[in-house]
Amino acid sequence: MDFLLHPSFWPQQIVNGLLIGGVYVLVALGFSIVWGILNIVNLAHGAFIMLGAFITFFIWDATNLDPFLVLPIAAAILFVIGYATQAGIINFVVRAPLLVTLLLTFGIEIFVTNLALYKWKADIRSVSPSYAGQSIELGSTIIPITKLGALGLACAITGLLALFMTRTKIGASIRAMGMDLTAARLMGVNIPRTYALTFGLGAALAAAAGTLISATQPFDPSIGSSYTIRAFVICVLGGLGSIPAVLVGGLLFGLIETIGSVVLGAGYKDAITFLVLVLLLVFRPNGLMGKEYYR
Amino acid sequence: MMASPPTPTTTDTRRDAPPLLEVRGLNVAYGDVQVLWDVDLVIYPGETVALVGSNGAGKSTLLNALSGLMNPLSGSIRVNGADLTHQPSRRFVHAGICHVPQGRRLFVGMTVRENLMMGAFSRTDGAAAIRQDFAQVLALFPRVEERLNQLAGKLSGGEQQMVAIGRGLMARPHLLMIDELSLGLSPIMVDTIFDVIKTVQAQGRTMLIVEQDIQAALEQASRGYVLDTGHITHGGASADLLASDAIRTAYLGI
Ligand SMILES: Nc1ncnc2c1ncn2[C@@H]1O[C@H](COP(=O)(O)OP(=O)(O)OP(=O)(O)O)[C@@H](O)[C@H]1O
Ligand SMILES: [Mg+2]
Repeated sequence: MDFLLHPSFWPQQIVNGLLIGGVYVLVALGFSIVWGILNIVNLAHGAFIMLGAFITFFIWDATNLDPFLVLPIAAAILFVIGYATQAGIINFVVRAPLLVTLLLTFGIEIFVTNLALYKWKADIRSVSPSYAGQSIELGSTIIPITKLGALGLACAITGLLALFMTRTKIGASIRAMGMDLTAARLMGVNIPRTYALTFGLGAALAAAAGTLISATQPFDPSIGSSYTIRAFVICVLGGLGSIPAVLVGGLLFGLIETIGSVVLGAGYKDAITFLVLVLLLVFRPNGLMGKEYYR
Repeated sequence: MMASPPTPTTTDTRRDAPPLLEVRGLNVAYGDVQVLWDVDLVIYPGETVALVGSNGAGKSTLLNALSGLMNPLSGSIRVNGADLTHQPSRRFVHAGICHVPQGRRLFVGMTVRENLMMGAFSRTDGAAAIRQDFAQVLALFPRVEERLNQLAGKLSGGEQQMVAIGRGLMARPHLLMIDELSLGLSPIMVDTIFDVIKTVQAQGRTMLIVEQDIQAALEQASRGYVLDTGHITHGGASADLLASDAIRTAYLGI
């Protein structure tokens, strides 16, 4: 374990952790909003992420457009898919017990994943723009350009989402609906439409995360569930119900996973996820930042 | 049938106008349990009407039906002539019915300012008119102005009731319905709230008020309805109701 004492080791691991953590923030953001506001633990979230990655891949492959520029397109497509899913299927079980929506979204996840496997096969793909190999060197610490771009975009999207939720009328109605459904009705909020908007927003954020993943690591149709689990753990880690909580949870989880897997070995990556989950549920069930209402 | 529909008294000149709200033969149930039976109720523009009755009589249920939160089994609800029976809540809001619910139901994770602005959510008459009403609400409740940037969940019960009424006024409704106007408030706060109601009344706003203190409610209102286990048993001018022996013995304990 001598490498742990090498002077360049820790800075590099912390940078790696934060770089992947930024992507994890985006992975968990839509999941957190759908859970916190609609009370749906969306097991299809990872499948939406996977779709976002594939959409980015196909558009990049066909047009050579920069993957980061494809992001809004992928997000828009998934927004429509998410909106339609909520309006067409899940709205029938609004306010249903958690178990019903779990089963329903689990079904969607299986359907989407298997359809993708059937259509696109299990081949591993990656999106590599011309600058993919480049990196910045700070002393002995290496920062790949694409990962830095992903982190920057993740932070920007998180900031924009926070502004949307607090500064716009639609954002306010989404938060109001999460706090008190009846009172939101009494303000004249169109509940079915706002439900569908919120679910669509969650799916669009999943697609954005998918774009960032496609540009920074290889992927295949089966990646979805591992990201759903991470999103879940990040929500439990940070606490449900606020955007800063997702930011803290995502970055922290990136650090824990990165450092944990170099110390314990990469084979333990998933075990670390579950270890974090178990420890949290035992010691801090409301997350590090406590439960809040989207602000 | 126990209830006879209250006939408007001829002393009130506003009766010449068509009713703002007209409820006929309303039956409402929670699942299999019927709670309201054949309710008739009329409210004319500009008047304040009290809805009184003992605990569990169905007052809140009636208000829920009158704001589209509950779908009636049968009967009709007309607002300014338009049939809103079986419509979702937002249609009632658009038609100018505003319901300040029992328990206030503020958005506890939002600031007081955000709560007030949510009241104006469905308005389409522009930012200037909304700003004007915002200023009016603050003039009505100076205590609320001091708390604008605090979370609504952190306010005292009385302050929350002020915000709830303010949020209702922000909708600039044709009819403001307030459930349990003074429940759980300190005597001083009750006075404050009743003063505000007087002011709002003087501004010409139509109101339906549910209130535990039947004497106070009827003194405030020009007319009243008494709801007893889901039936309207009495209705008429407040003075007549206050003078009625049946009501004095049953509700005022005199
Ligand atoms: N969600 C519900 N499900 C079933 N029954 C209900 C429900 N809410 C109220 N009830 C019943 O309906 C009846 C009327 O209740 P409601 O709340 O309308 O009375 P209220 O006159 O407002 O009483 P209070 O003075 O206590 O507020 C009561 O018998 C109550 O138990
Ligand atoms: Mg009640």
